[in-house]
Amino acid sequence: MDLRKVSSAAAALAIVMAARRSAADGGGRLLVYLHAAVKQRALQSALQDALAGVTVTAVGRIGDLDRSLKEGQDAVLSLPMVFAANGLTAKLQGLRQGAPDETYSLVGVNAPPDPAAVTAVGALDLLGRDGTNAFVSGMLGSQPKVERVTKVEDLLPLLQMEVVQAVLMATRFFAEVKGTSQLNLAARELPKRQPLPAVASVGPAGDAVVAAVSKLGGGALKVLGVDSWR
Amino acid sequence: MALTRRCFLAVGSSSILVAATAGCGHVGPKTAGASSAYNELFSVQRKGAKGQILVLMPATPQTKEVWTGLSDELGKSYDLTAVEVATKSDVDIVRTALERHRPVAIVLMNNPTVAAYAEYQRSCPPNTQFPAAVIVMTSFLDGQPNVIQNGTGIAYEIPLITVVTNLRKVLATPMHRIGVVRRAQLRTFVERQAKLAAHEKIQVEQEEVGPSPNPSELKRALRLVRQRSDALWVLNDDHLLSPRLIVEAWLPGVTERPWIPTIVGAAPLVLPGESFGTFAVLPDHTALGVQAASLLFDLADEDWKIEPGARIALPVSTTTTLDLPQVKERFTLRDGALSQVDKILK
Repeated sequence: MDLRKVSSAAAALAIVMAARRSAADGGGRLLVYLHAAVKQRALQSALQDALAGVTVTAVGRIGDLDRSLKEGQDAVLSLPMVFAANGLTAKLQGLRQGAPDETYSLVGVNAPPDPAAVTAVGALDLLGRDGTNAFVSGMLGSQPKVERVTKVEDLLPLLQMEVVQAVLMATRFFAEVKGTSQLNLAARELPKRQPLPAVASVGPAGDAVVAAVSKLGGGALKVLGVDSWR
Repeated sequence: MALTRRCFLAVGSSSILVAATAGCGHVGPKTAGASSAYNELFSVQRKGAKGQILVLMPATPQTKEVWTGLSDELGKSYDLTAVEVATKSDVDIVRTALERHRPVAIVLMNNPTVAAYAEYQRSCPPNTQFPAAVIVMTSFLDGQPNVIQNGTGIAYEIPLITVVTNLRKVLATPMHRIGVVRRAQLRTFVERQAKLAAHEKIQVEQEEVGPSPNPSELKRALRLVRQRSDALWVLNDDHLLSPRLIVEAWLPGVTERPWIPTIVGAAPLVLPGESFGTFAVLPDHTALGVQAASLLFDLADEDWKIEPGARIALPVSTTTTLDLPQVKERFTLRDGALSQVDKILK
């Protein structure tokens, strides 16, 4: 056994543990896996500024979510469908105008797309390949080929480059996407609703982080697509 | 502190050339050199895997990001092995990797890797059946789909339509006419981009220069095209981005009044204080890996068959960098514009 390697590994582990304790002492760690109409850097910065003492990490890909969860977190801010896929339970549910859920729309060019007729649809990669395919099928009631993207802004190029006939998004993103394009975008609101962002406790400082998130003010809440918590 | 032009030539332009050789800036294979030793960079193995996917790649920060996206997606279904290919001379490494892993499909990253694999294909007997190959990070791939047998891929250049959509989110200035200086060799590429960009009511203004223009020729072309454009789009063409041309043509050319934004495709070309690139739009390499993985899943559904002349996909996801001091001095930002930029240089 190489003792030098063992001792340097132990030292590295001690540093990591100390850093984690330090983060937890300061108010805990919040992992954010949420797609927003702003860049991930801006989302993380808005939340970090509003949550003094909490270490906020925003990720945009399911692979990064899995890795970050394994590294250890105190709370996770994401969509309830993501919690369900990971065996987590929401402790704090976001609301908008009193409702815990929101509508989704299918967006196409020139005319509102027919959910039953589209053969290729773009969607945010919320749950990985199989999970996202199932989510899209459930929302549309049909089984189109699904092109997954990792950012809200990447939905528009799928239409611009004619990779898909329509893209699926939370209706709240439509105005933002339409405002950035000269294409004649048209939306069809779907009958099924989906829960708004929520917070789950996953670590020792989870309750403290959940409490801090519940006190978030207007600006940060708006980025998340909610206006209050339950 | 602002860099002087001399410093920019010494420091900045060398970075630019490094960026260019990371996969952009050149038509066709470019890097030569002695062949390297066989080296497996990464491996993901799982029970019940559907087969082996071999990734041939150089070891750079950008290719590692692509590997992350690829392995996150494919690692749940396939065994993956990444083998280092550093130069186009690494044909024996390609052969060894293929014999050792017998992949159902391969991923080729970067121009020298594609050149080494193409050379390997040429060295095989006629009628050899090659595994399906997906090419990424290779410059100006769009328009040359038959660069290898049984191959397809994703272009590396960010489409102009995406570039301008990103810039419109940030600057309040109207963006309808986009100027570009190009060599004759890139006419087809630019015209395909112009056709796609027309969907967003973008008009492309072109000025052609010779195959190896001198600074005067390039500067004149820049002056002419900037006069009729709302923004200037700089192609990652290393024939036009030599250190001499950057210092003697581009830098004086893009700083002439009236000012218009300069859009570049290499991060080192955005350097606050030097006022070259206003805005860089670059591939999101991790997302590019995810996109390549999706293409591989699609190929698997088609029993790994690639039709000859298959369409090259365009990259969907980008990252953006902004020279904030230049923008504040010369242009008007939209409200909330900075929340739409990945990296802000101050």
